[in-house]
Amino acid sequence: MISGSLSLIGAGIAVATGLGAGIGIGIATGGATQAIARQPELSGKITSTFLLGCALAESTAIYGLVVSLVLIFSK
Amino acid sequence: MEEINAVLQEIMAGTSNVSVLGLFNVPSSIVASWGVMLFLVIASIFLTRNLKKNPSKSQVILEAGIGFFYNLCKQNLGKHWRTYAPWLGTIALYILFSNLTSLVSVPPPTKDLSITATLALLSLLFIYGNQFLYHGLLGGLKRFTEPMVFLLPINLMEIAIRPISLCMRLFGNIVGGYILMEMIICVAPAIVPVPFSLYFDLFDGILQTVVFIFLTILFTHESIHTEESVAH
Repeated sequence: MISGSLSLIGAGIAVATGLGAGIGIGIATGGATQAIARQPELSGKITSTFLLGCALAESTAIYGLVVSLVLIFSK
Repeated sequence: MEEINAVLQEIMAGTSNVSVLGLFNVPSSIVASWGVMLFLVIASIFLTRNLKKNPSKSQVILEAGIGFFYNLCKQNLGKHWRTYAPWLGTIALYILFSNLTSLVSVPPPTKDLSITATLALLSLLFIYGNQFLYHGLLGGLKRFTEPMVFLLPINLMEIAIRPISLCMRLFGNIVGGYILMEMIICVAPAIVPVPFSLYFDLFDGILQTVVFIFLTILFTHESIHTEESVAH
């Protein structure tokens, strides 16, 4: 029983990985908007690079999701 | 609430089984992936029949798509891109249509960890297999000590880290989107899910395909490139 509750707390803590992903995507968005403001003609290329970078930054949050799912459902 | 729990249980227990012709029990993700393969085979047969010099509408679309993909490979793989393009394109199409099956309300096969793990292992074999095919045995081993000798442990660790991160990224994104969509459908079954479905099913599915293939291309380029091929 106690270990079950502890694993739920651990699952909650694993959500903290979202912090890093949020900061990373924020920095990427800031950089992309600045780049587009400077060189609007390159916006297509910048957007595709930006989306790829976002997906990579997001993956840490996804690892957190996987860890918390494992913690919740492993018996 | 029970429905959400059932969905979560199904995901963690692997997958539910489907009996084929009343003979075998097969995981539902495998059946969905057979459907994707059948669709791709039939579509490729029909699209590549009767190719002409004066293209029809479907041929123009096909050529534009293949041109786009070849261009991506050419830009990122250096001068030997043509050898690697067919394999990468096949995997890209398979992952793309597997991610998009939730649009026709079939649970996507890529939400099964064993399928994404298989895809990641194939990528691993592709990356390091090409490294040894391209440089030979000794040259391939020497690649692990580049750019500097003391990076050897990190390069060796990457052999394990790369497939795990490829596999977990695809799996986690698709599972996360699937769980959220099931929850939204439980709360509001009509109209409300449409924009969410556009984001989680369509946009995220396409994006994850691009990320998976792009990372495989980048890693392959890293393991095959030499000084001459950088300079072109």
